[in-house]
Amino acid sequence: MTVPTGTGVLERRRASVRGGFSRPRGGSRTSGTAPRPRRGRSRTPWLYLAPALVVLGGLLAYPIYQLGLISVFHYTQAQVSGGEPTTFEGFGNYSRLFSDGQFWEVLLATVVFAAACVVSTLAVGCALAVLLTRVRAVPRLALMLAALGAWATPAITGSTVWLFLFDADFGPVNRVLGLGDHAWTYGRFSAFFLVLLEVVWCSFPFVMVTVYAGIRAVPAEVLEAAALDGASQWRIWRSVLAPMLRPILVVVTIQSVIWDFKVFTQIYVMTGGGGIAGQNLVLNVYAYQKAFASSQYSLGAAIGVVMLLILLAVTLVYLRLLRRQGEEL
Amino acid sequence: MSPVRQDVESRVNLLSRFTRRPGRTAAEATALVVAAVVAFPLYWMVLSAFKPAGEIRSAEPRPWTLAPTLDSFRRVFAQEDFGRYFLNSVVVAVAVVIASAFIAFLAATAVTRFRFRLRTTLLIMFLVAQMVPVEALTIPLFFVMRDLGQLNTLWSLILPHIAFSLPFAIWMLRGFVKGVPEALEEAAYMDGASRTRFLWQILFPLVLPGLVATSVFSFISAWNDFLFAKSFIISDISQSTLPMALLVFYKPDDPDWGGVMAASTVMTIPVLVFFVLVQRRLVSGLGGAVKD
Amino acid sequence: MKLSVRMVAVAAVLATAACAPQTSGNSSSDKDEKTGTLRVWLFQEVNNQPKEQVVDSVLAAFEKEHEGAEVTVEYIPVETRAQRIKAAFNDPKSAPDLIEYGNTDTAGYVKDGGLADVTEDFGAWDEAKDTDPTARQSVTVGGKVYGVPYFVGVRALYYRTDVFEELGLDVPKTQAELIATAKEIRAAKPELYGLAVGGAYTYGAMPFIWSHGGELATGKGGSYASAIDSAAARKGIEAYTSLFGDDNCPAAKCAAMTGNDTITAFAAGKAAMAIGGDFSHAAVEAGQVKGKYAVVPLPGLKAGSIAPAFAGGNNLGVLKSTTHRTLAVDLMKRLASKEAQGELFDAMGFLPTFSDVRQQVAAKEAFVKPFVATLAADTKFVPASPAWAQIDAGAVLPTMFQEVVSGKKDVDSAAADAAKKMNDAFGSVG
Repeated sequence: MTVPTGTGVLERRRASVRGGFSRPRGGSRTSGTAPRPRRGRSRTPWLYLAPALVVLGGLLAYPIYQLGLISVFHYTQAQVSGGEPTTFEGFGNYSRLFSDGQFWEVLLATVVFAAACVVSTLAVGCALAVLLTRVRAVPRLALMLAALGAWATPAITGSTVWLFLFDADFGPVNRVLGLGDHAWTYGRFSAFFLVLLEVVWCSFPFVMVTVYAGIRAVPAEVLEAAALDGASQWRIWRSVLAPMLRPILVVVTIQSVIWDFKVFTQIYVMTGGGGIAGQNLVLNVYAYQKAFASSQYSLGAAIGVVMLLILLAVTLVYLRLLRRQGEEL
Repeated sequence: MSPVRQDVESRVNLLSRFTRRPGRTAAEATALVVAAVVAFPLYWMVLSAFKPAGEIRSAEPRPWTLAPTLDSFRRVFAQEDFGRYFLNSVVVAVAVVIASAFIAFLAATAVTRFRFRLRTTLLIMFLVAQMVPVEALTIPLFFVMRDLGQLNTLWSLILPHIAFSLPFAIWMLRGFVKGVPEALEEAAYMDGASRTRFLWQILFPLVLPGLVATSVFSFISAWNDFLFAKSFIISDISQSTLPMALLVFYKPDDPDWGGVMAASTVMTIPVLVFFVLVQRRLVSGLGGAVKD
Repeated sequence: MKLSVRMVAVAAVLATAACAPQTSGNSSSDKDEKTGTLRVWLFQEVNNQPKEQVVDSVLAAFEKEHEGAEVTVEYIPVETRAQRIKAAFNDPKSAPDLIEYGNTDTAGYVKDGGLADVTEDFGAWDEAKDTDPTARQSVTVGGKVYGVPYFVGVRALYYRTDVFEELGLDVPKTQAELIATAKEIRAAKPELYGLAVGGAYTYGAMPFIWSHGGELATGKGGSYASAIDSAAARKGIEAYTSLFGDDNCPAAKCAAMTGNDTITAFAAGKAAMAIGGDFSHAAVEAGQVKGKYAVVPLPGLKAGSIAPAFAGGNNLGVLKSTTHRTLAVDLMKRLASKEAQGELFDAMGFLPTFSDVRQQVAAKEAFVKPFVATLAADTKFVPASPAWAQIDAGAVLPTMFQEVVSGKKDVDSAAADAAKKMNDAFGSVG
């Protein structure tokens, strides 16, 4: 099935976008089409960026620089509070980390678990965002409020409630599902699965609200045209909405990857700090157990730097793939 | 502005026609069922707050209680500085929402409407800070706040939260600013509008749905934060925020679940109120609705 | 790759400007002012008013005695203690003069350079001679005293009188009887756990290890070596882990349980016995088993003996950075005095750290008798090493129990692994 009119509108729009906009193209890359001359082009963007740069420079860039420093020193609470002198360690913290066999196991589990969480969250969030556009005010408000409630509940409480709901002795879920006293947190996969459910529960609202906001910004005639062609929801999503929402989907995806890779509270609360004999440990909980809880900041900083590099690599690869598909940053 | 208005109206009509399709009943039923499932844990939280202590975790997990009690809420509100904490939380969250919205809007305009060196690098650098565990940044941030002399003040919460909400807000608003056609900007300049006027009176209203989404995000992350609140508000307890009133109930070895659930319920309600206040912007969706 | 190259360049520029990470100079203060404001941090309890009243009456007497001295007390949530107390060490300007702290944190805070040495003041304090030895041990690191004990918490055996009566059982007198009784109950009443145990319940498990003569670690003066893999300790691990199984407390459910989970099970009527603290009393009273239970000391190996228990609790300590050392020490002694501890027990039920005061309160309140008897018999404490924070945070002991319980490892290899991790931690703190 084709949707000629819909795509037609889309193409026209995109074409006009290309023609009319001085779209920035990947950093300082020189592109074929010269941008239109703009008033105060050289200074204005920096003026606009100034407040953001001041805040981010002082409160994020500088601390990250400190983080890098800390990771090559011996730096625990005793050093921070001046009880003992700070000593340079070079890559000692890193080699300590890499020689720990458990670190590599945890890293693998984290990657797989985070990937599962990201995919589930995005799928649920996008599907419900589309659903929201198809219903009237009352069901829409009901779903939005429920989702907002899930989002707004402090993670520590949300995790506790989910644990109570699925408790083998005292939870209602097993009764309803007729599972007797099945213990969800005993098996490695069933524990991860339970945590995944909670993570999706508390993070899909972010995706849903964001994507819904994006859909509202899509010109109605585009949707109208596609709908008149009788295209299915899936088809409209694939060939009309998703391409137009690309910038929003990109940031939602990157954010989800970052958050789910760093998941902490849910695992910590729901699996009692990493599951039976540590089987449900993820990187952030591992960092907490090994480093932050006992104030070994230098080891913690080293783990932080490793996480940063992994996530940065994932982000760059993702953006590169997008660029290869013709999507510009 | 009038062409925009007109277009919005026609667009609303078009959109409602788009939604008036067979299968809406099914869609609405699905939405309601999903809402019920999503809301169930919330219901359980509120229910637990009203249950007497011995019933919260009992061998007979009933989805109702025959002996509702306000005891748990009383323990929450009996905390000496509860009102103060609440007010502090509101101040912090509102300040963060407003400041990050304005700063991010400007920055998003800069990275979308202009090309300059380091643009892409900057965009990615914005995200970097989120990629490390927050615990790892607490110590450096602590020293920044100390050197700024802002420890024990609400600024020590407001500033880091602005910094942590900005990256998402900038990335998000980029998409919305991008969606506003260049032609509109040029038309505005031709009408003699200044750059500032265009920015705040034309562009800003058009990206509002995006701002709603980012505001909800910044509001919730500032509202629910524990870590900064307990790391930077050290000696002046009158500057504490609501999560501190929740943490009281997490006593090691002897947690008070009724208090936890009641405090969490009390904490969640203002977020829902905030959302109901702003969601009209999201639903009426002005953004990007402009003819080419 | 232009993008990443540029980032590396930015990083390199930053790195070349390297210097050491920031620290704060928190040397002990020379000043010892006799007037001014004294700042005190105490833990905020869920029901805090009775505690405030006890403290306020001490403060009134203190302020009367020291003219020109004022005291402000802030009650902080226990859950925020780690960040706040460390922050106080980092920023002397924000720091209080006197703090309440969990007694397992003593060695860590000393290592962090935060607590003042009060050995002399403690020695000169006439009430200190009645402080029980384990409580004294909990403020002592490397032979020096860093505070005064404020109250203790200890665990004993809760059991269901109605179940015991129905099945015609006697209260177990030895550990072997305890285990046998637990299994007997489970066999007769499969809907109940005989004795609720938890794989993550370190302080419930330790009495089993200690009663067999095992130790967590041996050593003194900062250099410890793990003893968790000794033959005696392994016997204790064997005994405790034998309770996990379908014949008492199924591993699938009990391996993950914490101390609080076992008490929840008991309070909800899901367990015939549980090991709970004096502080668990209120939770059990609020449950279904109110009026149907009693408490006895946890039995040891020999008939009539009591298994050594872990003496938890809180201490008071003066911060090194205080500018009012004399006043702070005096206030500390007043807050932790025999009289004040007696009042604190009446208000909050916290057990006093003085043996004689404890006997007095036991005579008044029958409920605390088994706990006082346990404290009088033999109590133990965790190694006075900053490594304990690491061992505790790293869940070394729960992991060991869970490995055995879930069948991942046998007792010997699980204990050997735990010992290695403990020794790594002891080694890393020098």
